[in-house]
Amino acid sequence: MATAVGSAAPLEASEDLRRGETWSIRWRTGFDRWIGFLLPLLFLVAIVPILDVVYYISSKAVPTLTWGVLTSTGDYQLHDALGVPIESTFLFVLLATVIAVVLGLFGGVATAEFLPERAAGWVRMSANLLAGMPSVIVGYFGYFAFCLYFGWGLSFIAGVFTLSFFMTPYIFRTADLAFSSVPRPIREAAYGSGARPTQYILRIGTPIAFPQILTGVFLAMAIGVGETAPIVLTVQPGLLVPPTLTSPATYLTALIWTGFSQPPSVALTIAFQAAFLIIVVVLVLNIAVRIIAARYRKRLEGLYQ
Amino acid sequence: MSGTPATFEGPVLSTRGLSVLAKKKAILDHIDLDFAPRSLTAVIGPSGCGKTTFVRTLNRMVELTPGLSVEGSVLYLGQNIYDRGVNPVLVRRRIGMVFQRPTVFPMSVFENAAFGLRLIHADEDEIDREVTEGLRRAGLWDEVKDDLNRPALSLSGGQQQRLCIARALAVRPRVLLLDEPTSALDPMATQRVEATMQRLKEDFVLILVTHNVGQAARVSDRVAFLHTGKLIEVGATAEILERPRDPLTEQFITGRFA
Amino acid sequence: MNSTPVPGNPGDREPIPSSSPPAVSRRAGVGLRQRIWQTIPYAPALVPAAIVIAIALTLVSASGFHNFGWGFFGLTFNSNLNQFGMLVFIVGSFLTAVPALFLSMAIGLGIAIASTTYLPPFLAKILDPFVDLLAGIPSVVYGIWAFIVIAPIFGTLINPWAVAHLAFIPGFGAHTSQPVSPTTAGTGLPISIFVLTLMALPITTLLIRDALRSIPRDLWESGLALGATRWEVVRRVSLRYGSRGIWSAAFLGFGRAIGETVAVAMVIGAATRLPVNVYDSSFTMASFMFETLDAAYGNSVYLAALAELALVLLAITFAVNLLGRRLVSHIYAEEVPGL
Repeated sequence: MATAVGSAAPLEASEDLRRGETWSIRWRTGFDRWIGFLLPLLFLVAIVPILDVVYYISSKAVPTLTWGVLTSTGDYQLHDALGVPIESTFLFVLLATVIAVVLGLFGGVATAEFLPERAAGWVRMSANLLAGMPSVIVGYFGYFAFCLYFGWGLSFIAGVFTLSFFMTPYIFRTADLAFSSVPRPIREAAYGSGARPTQYILRIGTPIAFPQILTGVFLAMAIGVGETAPIVLTVQPGLLVPPTLTSPATYLTALIWTGFSQPPSVALTIAFQAAFLIIVVVLVLNIAVRIIAARYRKRLEGLYQ
Repeated sequence: MSGTPATFEGPVLSTRGLSVLAKKKAILDHIDLDFAPRSLTAVIGPSGCGKTTFVRTLNRMVELTPGLSVEGSVLYLGQNIYDRGVNPVLVRRRIGMVFQRPTVFPMSVFENAAFGLRLIHADEDEIDREVTEGLRRAGLWDEVKDDLNRPALSLSGGQQQRLCIARALAVRPRVLLLDEPTSALDPMATQRVEATMQRLKEDFVLILVTHNVGQAARVSDRVAFLHTGKLIEVGATAEILERPRDPLTEQFITGRFA
Repeated sequence: MNSTPVPGNPGDREPIPSSSPPAVSRRAGVGLRQRIWQTIPYAPALVPAAIVIAIALTLVSASGFHNFGWGFFGLTFNSNLNQFGMLVFIVGSFLTAVPALFLSMAIGLGIAIASTTYLPPFLAKILDPFVDLLAGIPSVVYGIWAFIVIAPIFGTLINPWAVAHLAFIPGFGAHTSQPVSPTTAGTGLPISIFVLTLMALPITTLLIRDALRSIPRDLWESGLALGATRWEVVRRVSLRYGSRGIWSAAFLGFGRAIGETVAVAMVIGAATRLPVNVYDSSFTMASFMFETLDAAYGNSVYLAALAELALVLLAITFAVNLLGRRLVSHIYAEEVPGL
């Protein structure tokens, strides 16, 4: 084995830096290099499907989309007319977002500002559990609770509430995060100079946290637009627009669900168009989120003097 | 290089015109230093002088920082470690490194010490031998010998740092680089590590970066003083610390000593 | 009690001082009103918990405590005969979710390691968001794409190839009696696994990436300084160091896979019996629940059975999410939609 180390004495083979490279070392280095080449290729597993989904849906939908199609309020089950579904979806998301904000915003702020540690932990865990629920379970809850027990039937209002319950935890979480990440010095200064909680929240916390909360709302909306189960299970498809609270109503994702397996037909065309519109909305919302996030970061940096 | 030298006379490690540049600005400027066998050289200097960068060039760790380029040469037993055909993996086995914070892996004491040996697929007997030897040299053996399987993170900070030393020694390097190894330790632990270094310098070449001039005085044979990337002075410890020739050196030492 | 308010990350600050002294609340009458007033700020925080409890209770009562007995976990499902054996669907869920979990963990590990270790930082920063974007595509859009574009690939290329070359493995042979499996349509278990893998990938990749990023830089360098290659440091040190995050990725990814409803419903075909081979159609709990609810309208026993199945799925989801979240130090994984 080795001779006495450190002395100017006979060298070991591996101390010849050129020739001492054993097969083993060469193999290990080579393997590392290969892995370094192959592993990044796995990104393609994510990139290719995204690009293909967007490309394929767009290529099927864009050629058929005209302004007329988008605004026509004819019967979408017979003609290629998206006016009713678009308006219906819009109203759905609008109302559901309002309810979700009412349900989630105050809770998130309260969790960030008032709750002692242990309680906050439990509350956050329940928000995570709610967010992690399969959409079909939320849909079932909506059906049993709103359609059956409350007696609303398969109606617009049932769908709105079910969807809003689905969106609530995301708004809750963002509100919590937003207020929790108000810089410490600012929070301390506010309370240190005698501010009451309401004053702090309204005058200091909200302006600072607002952009982040807005991104949370947008993200929740993006999720809501894409959801299917909570709507399909609680609302009967309908033509009325604007739907009344108890009437049937339709939704873009529902149109995809009913049309996707059809042979080429109006239903299938509408399915593609609906998918395209949903992608566009989700994309726009995500871009908006990123823009807000970027400007928010800059603003936050300014707060750290 | 011609042929495998059967023996080698001369400094185990030396640098010739070693410079490190970041975007045309020199972090290290033409350093020439020799490190003789069985010595401990302390590299001192004000913060930002490049001493950490310097030791990181000695085992090619400087390559991990993007944007830096190395010029000049670092000669290990007369061979330039930056030559094109030289594998850093090989270099790092021969020139070990201990970091500022104790960086034990989340494994048992034994597995930590055996880490380098497992990489080269040493057999179990050899691993046992070298682990024991390394722990002994690091002055940790007595404290851990009854339970080598306990998690390394259950050791105290000073013990962990000595484990890092043992881990580096287990693969039988000739040179050990120590980058401020005691700055995160309390005085008691510091003392143990310094005692270990004094023992080790009888068998290895130790290069110690330290901001603590007192420590340099206690353990080193030679001192090299760096200032803004240049080597200002180098010489025997007593010489440098008591009779510095350069005013910069004197400024630094008296400022730290007083 | 007067404590200094200290914000920061959720989970490390103390509550603010309350606005009225506690002694007041002990006096009758006035005290009650004060106490109610004091609890109002806290109340909204209970909303998520309340919803979760409401969901559980609703399903429990919908199942009407109907005693299906062990037949609930039986294999025969025939609504006309009042037979509600749900085992088929439970099996279907696991047959799709487990392989999807393995695949998404493997790929996620690879991507995360590539991103944190091998790619130059600027490239990683560009490519990472693509994986997160995968989570932004709605389930039903995946479904239609998979059904029309990918399923035929499975039906005409992948499945026949597997039948031709892998038939020696039990389950990989073709079933030529009624129903024929695999079909040229390509729907069934394999494509469902494909879809679920894609949908679980963002979570697994994100969590593993965070776990790997949490390793201190000098620990990483220590490994290299001992003469290890990057791969060896990752394998021997980083994965061990980040093992909690990696386990949580597995749990949460599994939760995602087993809960996925619509995309699976669109590509898994339909079968109320156990699959005859790996290519067969099936139902998962989620997809079955989704497709069958309207068939159960008015049939209270049928509805009760479905509600009970929902409870089984809920229990599994809860368990997996609880275990997964407990392992991660930060309470909320980033703002990726769907987490």
